[in-house]
Amino acid sequence: MNALRIKAIAYKEWREILRDRLFFALAFVVPASLMLVFGYGLSLDVEHIPFAVVDHDRSAMSRDYLHRFMDSRYFNYKGHVSSERELDPLLADSAIRFAIIIPPKFQENLLASRPVAVQSLIDGTFPFRTATSKGYVIAINAAFNGELLAGYISQRLGISLEQAAAMVQPVGVQIRYLYNQELKSVWSMASALMMFVLMITPPFLTALGVVREKENGSIYNIYASTVTRGEFLFGKLAPYVGISVINIIILWLMATLLFGAPFRGDPLFFFIASVIYVTCTTGIGLLVSLIVRTQIAAMMLTVVTTIVPSVLYSGLLVPIASMNPQAQIEAHLFPAMYYTDIALGSFLKGIGLEQLWGRVLALTIYAVALWMLSYLLFHKRPRS
Amino acid sequence: MNRHATELLSRFYLWWSRLTAMTIKELLQLGRDRFLIFAIIFLFTIDILMTGNVRMELSHATVIVNDADHSEASRELIYRFRPPYFKLGGEILDGREGFWLLDQGQALMVLNIPPKFQHDLVQGKPTNVQILVDTSNPMLGPLAASYSSQIIGQYGFDAALQRMGVTEKSLENVPMLVDQHRVWYNPNQNDQWFIPLSELLTVITILAIMLPAAAAVREKERGTMEQLIVSPLTSLQILLPKVISMTLVILLGTAVSLFLVLEPVFHIPIKGSLPLFFAVTALYTVATSGLGLYIATMSRNLAQAAMLAILILMPMIFLSGAWTPPEAMPAGLRQAMYLSPLYYFIEMGYGILLKGAGLDILWDELLGLTLLGIVVFSFGVWRFRRQYR
Repeated sequence: MNALRIKAIAYKEWREILRDRLFFALAFVVPASLMLVFGYGLSLDVEHIPFAVVDHDRSAMSRDYLHRFMDSRYFNYKGHVSSERELDPLLADSAIRFAIIIPPKFQENLLASRPVAVQSLIDGTFPFRTATSKGYVIAINAAFNGELLAGYISQRLGISLEQAAAMVQPVGVQIRYLYNQELKSVWSMASALMMFVLMITPPFLTALGVVREKENGSIYNIYASTVTRGEFLFGKLAPYVGISVINIIILWLMATLLFGAPFRGDPLFFFIASVIYVTCTTGIGLLVSLIVRTQIAAMMLTVVTTIVPSVLYSGLLVPIASMNPQAQIEAHLFPAMYYTDIALGSFLKGIGLEQLWGRVLALTIYAVALWMLSYLLFHKRPRS
Repeated sequence: MNRHATELLSRFYLWWSRLTAMTIKELLQLGRDRFLIFAIIFLFTIDILMTGNVRMELSHATVIVNDADHSEASRELIYRFRPPYFKLGGEILDGREGFWLLDQGQALMVLNIPPKFQHDLVQGKPTNVQILVDTSNPMLGPLAASYSSQIIGQYGFDAALQRMGVTEKSLENVPMLVDQHRVWYNPNQNDQWFIPLSELLTVITILAIMLPAAAAVREKERGTMEQLIVSPLTSLQILLPKVISMTLVILLGTAVSLFLVLEPVFHIPIKGSLPLFFAVTALYTVATSGLGLYIATMSRNLAQAAMLAILILMPMIFLSGAWTPPEAMPAGLRQAMYLSPLYYFIEMGYGILLKGAGLDILWDELLGLTLLGIVVFSFGVWRFRRQYR
């Protein structure tokens, strides 16, 4: 390895990037804009669920019950309809995602101490939203039931309403939300978004690097020169890693200053881990670039190796822990997962090398393996 | 009159034969790139197959118990945290160990049961159970909290009824709401109906933008575009074949994925009309490829095109309503969402396949997509024409 030759290759690549003004600008604009858009827009909070009501009773009690839904910020009241049949098209059109049907004699039965069945219809198209909405409905119903029962018992036994309420619900629940007390998605998102943006943009920067030279034929200059395989790959990769390192800093500043995400860990540790991570992701791009012969193929193969796994197997939207074993194995094949743990740990949990060394090691191995593979696949004497 | 008609006919024939010749050229060019074909086939089959393993539902989340009471009552409560939602991950004696396990990500939740839990319960004294939830994942944490308060609430309720001597039978004489919820369209909330389908729509979107953009930019980069420009072809005859050929490839891929993966493997119910679904897919692909052409006019090489493509693609995929509930989005972005063709496609795709909705219900989305498609596509063609003529 000759440092001077690596420098020459890196400098040549850098000049090439710099001269392509639009590309150079995009190398910084794309990560920052993705961070901005997702930071503000990617909210998983299930709120304002539009719903409609069929009230066959129209009594004081049914109105009181329904108001618990209307007044909740989780639901967005869209109106009454007169029969169940009118709900079908509304649900099919996604105009509402949830409906409550109050049976006739709702109040009469309750006052006469008889159980009443209240039906709710929930749109199951998006299962996560369905599960969350169901939780809200059950909670509202449970609260209403508790009050009903407390009223009933206080009447029967002649005790105060508070005493009766305590009897009905003897076990209280105290929930402590760790790491993200206010349950703001954007907090935990900001760190996961760093992972996401740094998974997608560096490979796309790099992916066309080598294959473009192959398509243009300028690769023959390299083949004919004294530059060795290793020197070429190092020099080629260096400017892209450099750009990505600057992007790490920009994204980190956006996460902490713009989104106000707390950073509880060690900045130096996080920075080094991030540099290893972007070395991995730029390495993926380089590898793709070496395998294929055309730029279009490089683009599509990068989609396959980055966008898809970073959405599903990174823990951004879908937590790894709840996957089945097969998907967990698939998740372990991509670097994103390890970095998600590092980013979450550094931002929200305030843990460092002590607990996360395994993940850093995994990323390092990944980076080295990618580099070795690239080295083996790149030949200065191409066949055919 | 007759001569006029034949002339018109022959002109149409010429136009048509040029269009088909160019389309065949594009298809041949695509077919000769082995890696590209591999990537496309992979995206439509294996990739979608893999997404079927992914779950967004709380499943077997590890609960660690810190039981300071060790009584029958506490054991009964602990026993209620069981699969499919939860699984017990063991018991600890020290609260600090719980924090450590949460830090490590080895547990999602720690359940703290206070001393004298059973004693208080029998005496009718209110008691408190504490749960610690890791909410760093914005999906699982809140779900776990919601489910466990349901479990504990139900437990307390049962305990209270038992203490008051209320039996199943006398429950009929108590004023109570019986919750009967029904889930429509996906009654078991099967993630395998949602995630693979959403992945298919994503793949269609990626290909519909990237393939035409790349096909056009490639010609620019290699200089073959100049050859096409000096040929008798019109701008539309140059651009349309790229869009048509890619649309054909995408439709074929969609059919493969629908009939070989989604239906036989994941048993997605195809409730609505298939011709309508494919028609909508074709319309969507053409509309979205307008964005690809627009990218092609902006970039001089494929590297630029790739970066521009992800700048447009990523927000489109994530903010069009499949992953994030449109109702909860900030108002500004919700307006922007109506400009995304994918929003209409998601509504219609899920509507047709899962809900069995027809044109009578989806006409407004179809209208929206058509209008948007016309605007986007003509804008792309206009930019191209301005650049070269």
